[in-house]
Amino acid sequence: MSGFVGDTILSAVLASGVDTIGVSQGSPVGLTSRAYPAIRHASLANDPRFALPMDRTPALDGAEFVTCVPPQARGLARLFQPGRTLGRDLDTTTAFEGMWKSGPAERGEPTDLLVVGGGVAGLSAALAATRAGLGVTLVESRPFLGGYSGLFGTLEGEDSPEESMSRLGAEVLADSAISVLTSAAVFSVRPGLARLHQVEPSNGQNRGRVVDIPAARTVIATGSIERLPIFAGNRLPGVTGSLDAYELVTRFGVWPGRNAILATATNPAYRLAMLASDAGIEIRRILDSRPHSASRFIAFSRAYGMVQSPGATIASVGVARAGGTLSVHVEGRSGIPLVTDRLLVSGGWQPDLTLWHIAGGASQWQHERGRIEPRGDLDGIALAGSAAGYYSRRGCIQSGADAIDKLLGRPRRQVDDPTIDPIYETPDGPLAIAAPDPDTAPAYLDGGPGLLQRPVPPRRRPWQVLWRSGPSGLTLLSEAPQPLSVTEVAAGVELDLIPERAAGIVAQERVASIPLASEQDHSVTDLWGPVGPGDVPPYLAGRFGPDAKVVRLLTAEPRALETGALIFPNSDTRHPREAIGVVLRFTSEGPMALVSSAVATAGLPVVVRDKGQTVPATAALQAD
Amino acid sequence: MSETDFDFAVFGSTPLAQLVAGLLAGTHDRKVLLIGESRASYRLPRGIDLSVAPITRPQTWALLSDTVPETARLVGRVSGRGGVLRVDPVFFAENPQAVEALLHIRHMAPGFGTAAEPVPQSSLGGNRSGAVFRDALRLNRPQLESGLEAWLADQKVARIAAQSVGIAEDGQAELVTDSGSYRARQAVLADDEAITAWLPLRQWPKQLRRIEHTAILTTPTRPLASSIMLELDSGVFLTQQPEGGVAAFGPGDRAWFSEHLQGLLGRERQIEQAGQTSYSGLATMDGAPAFGRVAGAGADIVVGTGSYGAFIAPALARWLAGTPSPLEAQWFDHHLVSRDGADRRLVEFSWTRGEPVR
Repeated sequence: MSGFVGDTILSAVLASGVDTIGVSQGSPVGLTSRAYPAIRHASLANDPRFALPMDRTPALDGAEFVTCVPPQARGLARLFQPGRTLGRDLDTTTAFEGMWKSGPAERGEPTDLLVVGGGVAGLSAALAATRAGLGVTLVESRPFLGGYSGLFGTLEGEDSPEESMSRLGAEVLADSAISVLTSAAVFSVRPGLARLHQVEPSNGQNRGRVVDIPAARTVIATGSIERLPIFAGNRLPGVTGSLDAYELVTRFGVWPGRNAILATATNPAYRLAMLASDAGIEIRRILDSRPHSASRFIAFSRAYGMVQSPGATIASVGVARAGGTLSVHVEGRSGIPLVTDRLLVSGGWQPDLTLWHIAGGASQWQHERGRIEPRGDLDGIALAGSAAGYYSRRGCIQSGADAIDKLLGRPRRQVDDPTIDPIYETPDGPLAIAAPDPDTAPAYLDGGPGLLQRPVPPRRRPWQVLWRSGPSGLTLLSEAPQPLSVTEVAAGVELDLIPERAAGIVAQERVASIPLASEQDHSVTDLWGPVGPGDVPPYLAGRFGPDAKVVRLLTAEPRALETGALIFPNSDTRHPREAIGVVLRFTSEGPMALVSSAVATAGLPVVVRDKGQTVPATAALQAD
Repeated sequence: MSETDFDFAVFGSTPLAQLVAGLLAGTHDRKVLLIGESRASYRLPRGIDLSVAPITRPQTWALLSDTVPETARLVGRVSGRGGVLRVDPVFFAENPQAVEALLHIRHMAPGFGTAAEPVPQSSLGGNRSGAVFRDALRLNRPQLESGLEAWLADQKVARIAAQSVGIAEDGQAELVTDSGSYRARQAVLADDEAITAWLPLRQWPKQLRRIEHTAILTTPTRPLASSIMLELDSGVFLTQQPEGGVAAFGPGDRAWFSEHLQGLLGRERQIEQAGQTSYSGLATMDGAPAFGRVAGAGADIVVGTGSYGAFIAPALARWLAGTPSPLEAQWFDHHLVSRDGADRRLVEFSWTRGEPVR
């Protein structure tokens, strides 16, 4: 497999025509920047410590990698797999990434401020912090700084996003008070500490390491996640998010296929269509789920001659024929489906609150904007940029500096987050959701590693009435044995699986949390003291009368009676409410029991029921 | 009585709360308001409804064994056959005192119709002892909740989402919603969350104390010894779902609980947390359940029933409605929350034993 300098393993693999991870429940699943299997150098043992993420691992000349997820086909069948799939079995494992999460961490350099995210908001926060005299560690998951502003274009009076990203990135790299870690993803955070996984070249190989960064303050500027419209086949190979496609083409020069259809509820996706058209890609149609949308991008793309279908949502997508062509069925339109090499989808944007939730931050569903937004504050942790809910590049940049003011307790300045009047720029529409179609490819709630399908009620056909129903797939979100991403929770709200008022709680509850050691000692303490031979547990108090006595039981033959065995006045009684005593425990002096005062003082014969047998005994009162 | 006046305002989200509300309205012909929502379909589990529990008092076993069949029939009517599942839960313990309690429970359970057998130590790992309780009943909460909505409507239970609630010292409740105000002659706080949220602090009974609880859901792992397990030493429940994920819940703060859970499941298991939450639970000082009006005259509360609460719902509804059987009347009267704690005959086995859980 060939690649170029600057490629990641993921971009090199995609550029080589591989676009499929493997098969889940009989349906192929596409390879994207949010869903890929963990890999390791082929020369290293299959140990989670050696696992690497495909999108953060630089391609190295001559390196040989294997995936950590088990292969789907076995034996000779592997030799006959089509060349576009990694052939992984996705039904038996969830090891997409993060295999390193449960391992130990080395201690990193403490810092005054940790900035998570190297987009414009994170870069701005880092620069504002150094102006305030703080030492900064900036962590970016991709191999480069700048973030994802490029897709969203420019507002009047702004420089281009590329200029903005480049200028801020250069300033950060030139600032000696800022330590930059790229290819490093923070996966757990709490006030005072963050844990990250970084990929770094070492002796001709890529090496992963897990590091704890003690940080007095933290800015979370992790951006937004593009939401996946919900329709059958929404994760087939060839279905790609608009941001994913934009990054792949602008960062790595990779664009699979020669034509594409765009299905969107947002305006920036139109910009992608124009950029693709400029590059010679045929945009066959733009399906916009909004019935009446207006935007400069829409007007421009119309001028390009692109066919636009307002008010159109996808019903389902299937594989038209081997080799990668997709057939796209549009809701409410029967007839011949649309055929395309690639389907670009854009379902709107959800602030990435994953780390905010892991740190204990709260959030809530914002009905008007159709997304989960942060709520409240955390000690020593602040949000910035689109993760904090800002829309514009200007707002994101200013919010970076505002986050520093907030953390330092300084007076706050109003963040200017301009939006264009809806008359000229229609806001993003709600997430497009097709009617469920259980007879076609699965519909997933998100494009991430979770592979969480749209829950469906159990189906019982008339002929099944006589049969006990077997597993029928996930029917409830609460039963999903996996973390729920914030986008999956948002989809759950749109699908009425989660009440709006509970969205924030569920998102926080179901985030993939990695416990970090706290400042306190949380060793498992023994709440229990030793047991003495004649001790009477409190729950036996009064059970056999107010003056019950501890006695030694004498049996005809030495015998170990079990704790809890009930003692009765005769062999005719057996109900626990008729018991006159109970065996406490077996000691070196024989079995000790708690019996009623009358039995103890008179030394009456009794019957012990133990292991299905009746054992005659007498009670011997202890001298003390 | 006006449309906004009710006999009872039942607060709570658990099956116990909803069943009691429906029974008070349908069987006992009271006008009932329910404040609480079903949420088993999207929230992490914080409890389980079982017909067996770590009960060390025969009188409580007796009440429970009387009401289990009645509750099972009721749930069957409400939610269909899938609302009640037959399970073989395993209780286990390691500390000598908890092991002794387990043995007392195991010897008593058969007397009340629940077969109990020891579990081989090899199935549990470590130095643990265990007992399996055969053919116990478990309420399938998601299935039950899907039927409860229609059933409660049939019983004419009014459901509201209250914005503010006032509970007077005589037990009357005043509730304000978007659409207006409601009054109920008697408030019933039927689960820990409702008590914590709505019981005025000045009415807080001495018997109660708050304990931090945690619930964690793990990614799939290999099968446990049973799909339902309870560690008596700590009060931690482990429930394994069909997909293999383990939902654990019980006392302890999140850091302690997470570490303890990993210890229970075995360090060699590669699992990750698929969800986690902390919440406040309640316990009584003597480990026994508590019912009745706070300070003898205030809101009715229900606390400390653990996993079996839903299975005594019919008896509780009768008692609240003033029509209990003699056995029920005696049992509930002995377990009034206004008790002073001097009666040691009520003390139940408890992992907290009056000490704060970390």
